[in-house]
Amino acid sequence: MTKARLATTWLDGCSGCHMSLLDIDEALVAVAPLIDLVYGPLVDAQEFPQDVDVAIVEGAVSNQDDLEKIRLIRRNSHILVALGDCAVTGNVPAMRNPIAVKTILERVYVEGADTGKGIPTEVVPALLKQALPLHDVVKVDLHLPGCPPSARLILFVIKELLEGRVPDLKSSARFG
Amino acid sequence: MTAIRDLAGFNAVHGAGLAKLMPPRPRIAVGMGTCGSGNGAEAVMHAFAEAIGQRGLDIDLVRTGCFGFCAEEPLVNVRLPGQPLVILHRVRVNHVERILDDLAAKTVTANLALCRIEKWNHLTSHVHYGNGFPEIPLWNEIPFFKGQKKIVLRNAGLINPDDIEEYVAVGGYQALYKVLIDGTPEAANEQIKESGLRGRGGAGYSTGLKWEFLRKAQAERKFLICNADEGDPGAYMNRNEIESDPHALIEGMAIGAYITGATDGVIYIRAEYPLAVHQLNHAIAQARDYGLLGKDILGRGFAFDIDVVEGAGAFVCGEETALIASLEGRAGRPRPRPPFPAQKGLWGYPTNINNVETWFNIAPIIACGPAWFAETGNGASAGTKVFSLVGKIRNTGLVEMPLGTPLGSFVHAVGGGSLNGQPVKAVQTGGPSGGCIPPDLFETPVDYESLGRLGAIMGSGGMVVMDEDNCMVDVARYFIQFTRSESCGKCTPCRVGLDKALRILTRITKGQGREEDLADLDELGRMIKETSLCGLGQTAPNSLLTTLRHFHDEFEDHIRAKRCRAGTCQDLALSPCENSCPLHMNIPRFLQLYKEGRLDDAFLSVIMDNPLPASTGRVCQHPCDNRCRRATLDEAVNMREVHRIIADRVLLTDAFDGVAARIAARRLPSSGRKVAVVGAGPAGLTAAFYLSLLGHEVTVFEAHAEPGGMLRYALPEYRLPKAVLDREIEIIRRLGVKFVFNALVGEDVSLNELDAGFDAVFLSIGTWKESWVYLPGTELAGVRPALPFLEGVATGEAMHLGHHVAVIGGGNAAIDSARTAIRLGATATVIYRRERKDMPAIEEEVEAAEQEGVRFQFLAAPHRIVGEHGEVKGIEVVKTRLGEFDTSGRRRPIPTDEVRMIRCSSVILAVGEAVDRDFCRASGLSLKEGGMLDVNRYTLETSREKFYAGGDLVTGASNISNAMGYGKEAARHIDGRLSGGERFDDILPQFSYDHATPDPDPCRRHRGRDLPAQTRARTFTEAVQTLLPEEAAHEAARCLRCDIRENSSHTDSHI
Amino acid sequence: MPSQITVRIDGVLCTATEGQTIFEVAEANGKVIPSLCHMEGVSPAGSCRLCLVEVAGVDRLLPACTTPAQRGMAVTTTSDRLVRHRRLALELMFVERNHVCAVCVSNGHCELQALAMSLGVTYVRYPYNSPRLPVDVSHPRFVLDHNRCILCSRCVRVCDEIEGAHVWDIGGRGIGSRVVAELDQPWGDSQACTSCGKCVQVCPTGALVEKGYGVEEMTRSNSAVARLAMKKGAAS
Repeated sequence: MTKARLATTWLDGCSGCHMSLLDIDEALVAVAPLIDLVYGPLVDAQEFPQDVDVAIVEGAVSNQDDLEKIRLIRRNSHILVALGDCAVTGNVPAMRNPIAVKTILERVYVEGADTGKGIPTEVVPALLKQALPLHDVVKVDLHLPGCPPSARLILFVIKELLEGRVPDLKSSARFG
Repeated sequence: MTAIRDLAGFNAVHGAGLAKLMPPRPRIAVGMGTCGSGNGAEAVMHAFAEAIGQRGLDIDLVRTGCFGFCAEEPLVNVRLPGQPLVILHRVRVNHVERILDDLAAKTVTANLALCRIEKWNHLTSHVHYGNGFPEIPLWNEIPFFKGQKKIVLRNAGLINPDDIEEYVAVGGYQALYKVLIDGTPEAANEQIKESGLRGRGGAGYSTGLKWEFLRKAQAERKFLICNADEGDPGAYMNRNEIESDPHALIEGMAIGAYITGATDGVIYIRAEYPLAVHQLNHAIAQARDYGLLGKDILGRGFAFDIDVVEGAGAFVCGEETALIASLEGRAGRPRPRPPFPAQKGLWGYPTNINNVETWFNIAPIIACGPAWFAETGNGASAGTKVFSLVGKIRNTGLVEMPLGTPLGSFVHAVGGGSLNGQPVKAVQTGGPSGGCIPPDLFETPVDYESLGRLGAIMGSGGMVVMDEDNCMVDVARYFIQFTRSESCGKCTPCRVGLDKALRILTRITKGQGREEDLADLDELGRMIKETSLCGLGQTAPNSLLTTLRHFHDEFEDHIRAKRCRAGTCQDLALSPCENSCPLHMNIPRFLQLYKEGRLDDAFLSVIMDNPLPASTGRVCQHPCDNRCRRATLDEAVNMREVHRIIADRVLLTDAFDGVAARIAARRLPSSGRKVAVVGAGPAGLTAAFYLSLLGHEVTVFEAHAEPGGMLRYALPEYRLPKAVLDREIEIIRRLGVKFVFNALVGEDVSLNELDAGFDAVFLSIGTWKESWVYLPGTELAGVRPALPFLEGVATGEAMHLGHHVAVIGGGNAAIDSARTAIRLGATATVIYRRERKDMPAIEEEVEAAEQEGVRFQFLAAPHRIVGEHGEVKGIEVVKTRLGEFDTSGRRRPIPTDEVRMIRCSSVILAVGEAVDRDFCRASGLSLKEGGMLDVNRYTLETSREKFYAGGDLVTGASNISNAMGYGKEAARHIDGRLSGGERFDDILPQFSYDHATPDPDPCRRHRGRDLPAQTRARTFTEAVQTLLPEEAAHEAARCLRCDIRENSSHTDSHI
Repeated sequence: MPSQITVRIDGVLCTATEGQTIFEVAEANGKVIPSLCHMEGVSPAGSCRLCLVEVAGVDRLLPACTTPAQRGMAVTTTSDRLVRHRRLALELMFVERNHVCAVCVSNGHCELQALAMSLGVTYVRYPYNSPRLPVDVSHPRFVLDHNRCILCSRCVRVCDEIEGAHVWDIGGRGIGSRVVAELDQPWGDSQACTSCGKCVQVCPTGALVEKGYGVEEMTRSNSAVARLAMKKGAAS
């Protein structure tokens, strides 16, 4: 049996979902032979690879980089899983959405700065008008809400996908 | 005055009223409803009063309500003793003296007369005004009133609504008297039930049944409520009913009170109707004075009175539980039923609510009997309904039609057709909660059930007519915006669902729609409809759901092609002209560049939008003319003529080589990809031009010996000199396009060979098969189809036409054939089965033909061609008359028995061209109905991989610019396929030019000069000469620059 | 004495007392119909539209919380159509305001959240409205956070019908509707408020909460309100 090519990454999120992923603990050993982890924080790949079977993405789409990244991930992946509330609803990063970007930037980089007051125009990618859930930008195949989703649930989803099934999350996954 | 207590009392009031209605002196009644007043009736009234006073005339002057024909306001009734009542229309202050003069001379002002009324059935009595003035049409002879049946509006516009005695004079309050004297409530209730009357507020529940619930309810107090909270935009029947005839409402409610045992009446009317409120209060006071309301009505010991309560204008208060909440001083929000108002209504007492119009039907039902009422209408929907007919229609106004009348009768018969001759696109019934119905469903009878089946509703009777200028996405957005802002907010689906639907619709109208939006909107609409708490939410999605169902293409256009056909959605169009142009030429830009004296830039702007600018400058159907906003000021800008001169001044001069090189220099580096174009007509040439510019290697296969297609072989030299066409094609040649002539695809080259040899194929072989009419005699020598005739002349073949040619048809080919025949020395008659205005040919061409001596025989259809010794001797035509309107909005010609003979020596059949079905079938490509190729509407892909198609082959016979539009789109999509990117717009030039809004002076349109008819009819020299350069600059300056936008009105998506 | 009737709910014969609503009959027979505005002890609002059910022979969907059970009625409480509508209604509630479960004091004890989970709402397909809404912290003990309000009006009814204070009502209309204290003034300024906290106890989400609780810490008891209502009913 060929191994499934799995990629994980995070956009605007706290990496808590990845912590939960690692919390799968010893069950990882059972899953490991079935997958080839081709991209992610634990892998030394610079570029998001082509022909990924399952991409698991944490975090909201908040800035220009996120936008380009998620579009690339979508193009190169067969199944895209939105992992956790930030990817599914916008969650905490989206709490800024009712406020204009300019107001936020001024508050942080001008009013809140002790030195070097001024909104950065280089290095830091430009914020989008709103932080968005993944499906507002690209087609998402599976939503796994939770902040974070439990390790058990993540494992369930991965196993189901590896078996070629669509995981039924009714009564098991919830926001928050 | 004393209260009426018996028949004698009645008779006294009746007599007094009749003396006012038909006095032994002239009477003038000015229509002073809100609608009349808004059109100047008050000034007219004032002028009459002043003039009558000054002259000391013995004339009665009163006000009356509205007779319903809003488009003809102000309406004034005049009557001489013993003579018919004459309705004058569009009466202005300066007519007053003349009207009075005429009355003094014992006549009426005939040229202001709309119609006359000799006798009138008020249903509760008959009035005979008198006979006479046969030259003025009877009221029900004019189309607007023909077919109307006035039950609700039986008195409107005829009696003085201020005067209860006039109401009594036409039989008013006698129905009340009748039920009080000799009817038990039970028996009278039975009559209402039997009549089949259903609630006119829209829900259509049986009125008699509803009353029975209240009658049977036991309580110390019971309420009757009249819902006069008419809040639909565009609906004003209730206002007019109350303003014109308030006592009909009061009488209806008093009868209802007697039947149901109600003790108190409330009329809940919107405060925005001050005149109606005033009229009601006045009428109620009068009714009390006459003992028709109060503690002892008509001396029969029956007590009932009515309060008028003004509502603050919330649409949701039309819902009965919200209305009751509002009457009780609470926020107007509905509550779930049960308990129903008949159990627990106003202040907790049993209550019945009916719409104004329902109450208006009561007295006639009692007076004339339930069987009489049930005769009108169609079965389950008995009686009539008043509709306010508005929108893009000639005769706007209030029309009362029997239920079950086909929708088309409203539009075409009563409404008189669309406002400016454009096809009607939809009728929206039932106000913001109603639905949009397309023309192919205009045979639907207007009744509760039939409309419901279409997802529309009767509602309270709004009827808005829409034409091609109405964008259906925008219509849905407008109505959802209305219901969203009128949602009370109580239940989730209506509160949040409508808001969400509005946000999505708004996004679509801004060109930011997404593929999934349509499915999401559909689900959202269904959910709101099925789950909302009250009628507002349950009907609010109707406009959305019906437009989604019947106008799905338009939604898709907005989302996929970012186009709004109607040109309503500003973010999707540069200007109305650009939007109407199949090539989407940036018209304001080339006009401005030419105006700035930048001929080369103007030419580049034109040719990069339209590769055949000189040809289209001569023969384009110019849809831009119909959309030009300058037409609202004086006349449309002559855009076609300006791009003709721009093209001519470059193509036909020494500038040619330089400009051709400048265009060739824009060609992108070679892509190494090969494209075959089949057919060198306008679509093929256009595709070849762009594909070559995009760097592809293009080969055009053409069945004829020369390129141009219909431009060369069907358009006569006098319209399009072939030298001009040759220059245009030369530019395409210089881009490196290769031509293979005399190559018939399917025979000389197979589709498989094309498939093997090219990376993409564009099929644009046009429509070269003549349609044929099967008439006796078509086998005779001298009978020819138009296309081979024109082609023969174009290629120099000798034609023997004889002395007179009969041409059958009404399109451009018919006119071209007739004018060509004239130039060949014959005379010609064009035979067309409809009227002149229905001809599809370009208007200027028809005019030119007339000037050149072409004769026309309209309303005539060919019957048989008569021959002798195998030669044509004449043609017999059968006279047609115009019948019902068809879906194109034109009336269908119906043959009569009248046949006449036209002598002629040849017959040209110009009845249309069709695609070559054999080719289409043999191609193995999937076809649609009519044998045309089936392509993806957006990408123009056929069912076969890498084969694209466009032009007439896809649309059926159309015109040059339509075909070119297809060629341009095909090039865009073929390039997208070959390059894998969106490069098309990269080859288009950018210009900087002035963006100041012009300050226009009135100025007529400049036209190309026609050669004198006598001269041009003898030669094939071009018939219309181009503008002079300075005229053209002046014409260009007439553009109002609709492309200029205020800054930053454009909002980007949130990404 | 009201008579006993039988109705069929999801195919099961149930005995009911005449005058009981479908909701009450279902509940008494151990069948839970989803709802967010219904609450035992106060009058029904019929506004969340989650409890709509299908009744055989009736075209329209009927709200279980206000429709009286009738003899011989056959009720379906769950069908594909009903589930689709309920999920969409929940999605609309999430879309309308700013529900950030992860940082909510009611996380884990929220009726909206729980219902979404049980109906399998794992994401919301429509864009969020993200309105900018105030939080009223003027009351010494309680907080009103409009970001989390779903306008179920339980607080309005409990305050009016049980406490008798009628501090709360719904102001504005349509999408602009808000719960308002008295004539739209800060809660802390309300003269009528007795600070009894009933509104806080019945709030299905984290819109009305007690001060001093952290994320996930706020729990409530609406059964207490039902008991009070019963006492009140017995006393009057």
